[in-house]
Amino acid sequence: MASEPAAPVASRDRGAAMGLLARLRSWEGLLLGLLVLIVLWNATSVSGYLDPRNQINLLTLSQEKIIVVLAMAFVIIGGEIDLSVASVMALAAVLIASLYEGGTPMELAVLIALGAGLLAGLNNAFWVAVVGLPSLAVTLAGLIGYRGLARLFIEDRSIGGFPGWFTAITRDAVLGPLSLSLLLFLVLLVVAAVLLHLTGFGRTVYVVGNSRDVARFSGVRVTRLKAALFVMSGFIAALGGVLIASRLGAVRGSTAEGFELDIITIVLFGGVSIFGGRGTMIGVILSIFVILNLRNGLALANLTGNTQLGVIGLLLILSVLVPNLIATARGRLERRAGDRGAGTGQGPDPRRADSISGTASG
Amino acid sequence: MDEGSPRTPVIEMRGVSKRFGSTQALEGVSLELYGGEIHALLGENGAGKSTLIKVMTGVVQPDAGEVRIDGAVASIGSALDAQRLGIAAIYQEPMIFPDLSVAENVFISHRDRGRFVHRRQMQADARKVLARLGVRLELDQPARGLTLAEQQTLEIAKALSLDVRVLIMDEPTASLSAHEVRRLFRIVHALREAGVAVLFISHRMEEVFEIADRVTVLRDGRRIRTAPRGEVTTASAIRDMVGRTMDDFFHRTPASPGEVVLQVKDLARETAFSGISFDLRAGEVLGFAGLVGARRTDVGLALFGIAPAQAGQVALDGRPVTIRSPQDALRLGIAYTTEDRHALGLVLPMSVAANISLPSLARYLGPLGLVRFSDEAATARRYRDRLRIRTSSIQAPAEALSGGNQQKVVLSKWLNTRPRVLILDEPTRGIDVGAKADVHQMIDELAREGMAIILISSDLPEVVAMSDRVLVMREGRQMGILDRSQATQERILAAAMGQDERPGPPDAATAAGTLGGVAS
Repeated sequence: MASEPAAPVASRDRGAAMGLLARLRSWEGLLLGLLVLIVLWNATSVSGYLDPRNQINLLTLSQEKIIVVLAMAFVIIGGEIDLSVASVMALAAVLIASLYEGGTPMELAVLIALGAGLLAGLNNAFWVAVVGLPSLAVTLAGLIGYRGLARLFIEDRSIGGFPGWFTAITRDAVLGPLSLSLLLFLVLLVVAAVLLHLTGFGRTVYVVGNSRDVARFSGVRVTRLKAALFVMSGFIAALGGVLIASRLGAVRGSTAEGFELDIITIVLFGGVSIFGGRGTMIGVILSIFVILNLRNGLALANLTGNTQLGVIGLLLILSVLVPNLIATARGRLERRAGDRGAGTGQGPDPRRADSISGTASG
Repeated sequence: MDEGSPRTPVIEMRGVSKRFGSTQALEGVSLELYGGEIHALLGENGAGKSTLIKVMTGVVQPDAGEVRIDGAVASIGSALDAQRLGIAAIYQEPMIFPDLSVAENVFISHRDRGRFVHRRQMQADARKVLARLGVRLELDQPARGLTLAEQQTLEIAKALSLDVRVLIMDEPTASLSAHEVRRLFRIVHALREAGVAVLFISHRMEEVFEIADRVTVLRDGRRIRTAPRGEVTTASAIRDMVGRTMDDFFHRTPASPGEVVLQVKDLARETAFSGISFDLRAGEVLGFAGLVGARRTDVGLALFGIAPAQAGQVALDGRPVTIRSPQDALRLGIAYTTEDRHALGLVLPMSVAANISLPSLARYLGPLGLVRFSDEAATARRYRDRLRIRTSSIQAPAEALSGGNQQKVVLSKWLNTRPRVLILDEPTRGIDVGAKADVHQMIDELAREGMAIILISSDLPEVVAMSDRVLVMREGRQMGILDRSQATQERILAAAMGQDERPGPPDAATAAGTLGGVAS
């Protein structure tokens, strides 16, 4: 073990997060296999399914969701949850609509909506990070509260008639088949992947998600990090709200209702642990494509929305269940080994060391 | 007492041995407990008391030896078996269900009362049990509102309701006031009258001498002696407890400490410790000795800003400083390695390299906050070589390493912050002999390089061998600082048990006298 030659330079791009990647490789492989299967299945039933434009179309129809997925991945890996995102989306969309209707220039209305997202995120951050309440409860209150606020502004009306440039953001192709908003998503996707896997901030998200206590005992500013996660989530959710207002061209009190569940589903199905500290952007991206194509396929097969929900719910249960069952089984095996006298251990456990060097050398 | 009487002991252990990894926790221990006897178990930290209790309560299975109940070989394979055989244990921190009522807590372990809860019957039975103990508790009240002492009483009641024959009390008095201790002792006496065998574990000598009929001393997993109370003195008990073999202990390179780096004066934190004062010089190792519950770790946590001190002064290089958070401590060059590697020291699924760079991550960030992975890896390799960390790769997750190597990763992580003051909390607990020697050598090297080191350790020979001076604590108070020449195991243990200061409070002595009269 100690005679390992100086680790090759290749290990440079394998940070802690990348080490996690190695662990989760099987899950991501599974997702990729599933994706290929679903796409092929769909392609056999619909001609032209494999046209890249079809995939872009799928992304376009869900762009406001998948952009929030990026932020949600950080929140969940950081060991928290944000249930209020869909309501923040609605709040932002409603603000734009009612401000514009009241005579505010659209540009200003968009900025105010984004600012409202920041404030909503700050509010969540205060109760979770500073006061220390569970994010499940705080953001559940946010889910109800922000939605209520949105409905106060718009009541039971539907507001539309936005300026052309605003709706063009999500509708008009500017680069090849891509709209400005989809370009923004792709940029944010790269930023998110870099931020999560290659920066000190991303590293800290994993550390805090794994163990608040270890983070605290290591001098990590846990409060600040958690606050940052919720502010980020609030802001990106507001951005999602801007996009949905643009794409639909009209806003109602029920806009984006229930989206939080789709968003969280995609993140968890991507292999992000609901307990925090584990998951990768690659998994999340694959999960986006699997779920969008699956839904599309089910729709093509003339299955109703309820059946679609059922299938996706089943997948979600499996995605949470399978890794946990594996972990439980592994833990039980280890405990049995531990009882046989490996309690304090001498030297590295060969069984595990081998499996690790096996993946590390790959 | 009943020495030599032909009575069969209620529980008898014969030649019980248990090994955990490289540690022989128990080696051929025999112990007999008779009904109506209060038997004290003494031994310093790690002597094997906890393991013995675990064997008796079915938590741990012995490798060799047998347990006999009423003279017949019994197997205690689980906590449930122990309960069926009438063996119960209560601990310093009672294990109650805070939201259940007093009566419900008393009967929580009963499985033979049918499918439904008969509230009135339960209340009546609970009242009966509590009456036997001579205590009054509101039966409908949720257990949450009870004081610690009352919760303990509740645990005893719980044991009694199960027709307990052997009651193990592990440091039951550690968190009780003097008044509560008296009441507890009355209950214990009542149990003895009722024919229960009580195994009483306490670090407070005066309590042991007050209440015990017989005393057994354990050391290094072996039984050193069992004797009636009258034949044991505090001095002889301490002599039996220490004298652990000094095998293979590292010998410090003699060095002359430099300037005072850290000055601590009257440091205090409510309910944890008070009046802690010491100077720490560059190149000096100051040992922190004490028994479990001495609150040494709390002092370490205060100096590291996790649970900041509320009173007193701390000065670094002569300048007063305030430490309110770990970030403060890090900035001032104070590092703390926790005794709980798994829960507090390491991000287990993360790589060795990421763990090492964690507290000093800012140094490894390039433009845009990008981690410089090559620098990080180079640092990790340097520590791997220097501390001889045995790992397949520095990218292997920390959880794949053995305890000793994990401890070295924890050390690396903090050394890499280039601290001036290094607080080591139980740095060798639960690690194998080789890793232990490496850690000792490391401590010596660091001291020679001028680092100021606080070594919190429950391993007496280690403290004696590694420290220039030893600060002894007892129940949150500083009992004194012993120079290297004075710091023998016996003196440290005597101070840790409060024997240097007072031979025992007068009320305890008189109480012991009267009780002795009744008992004989």
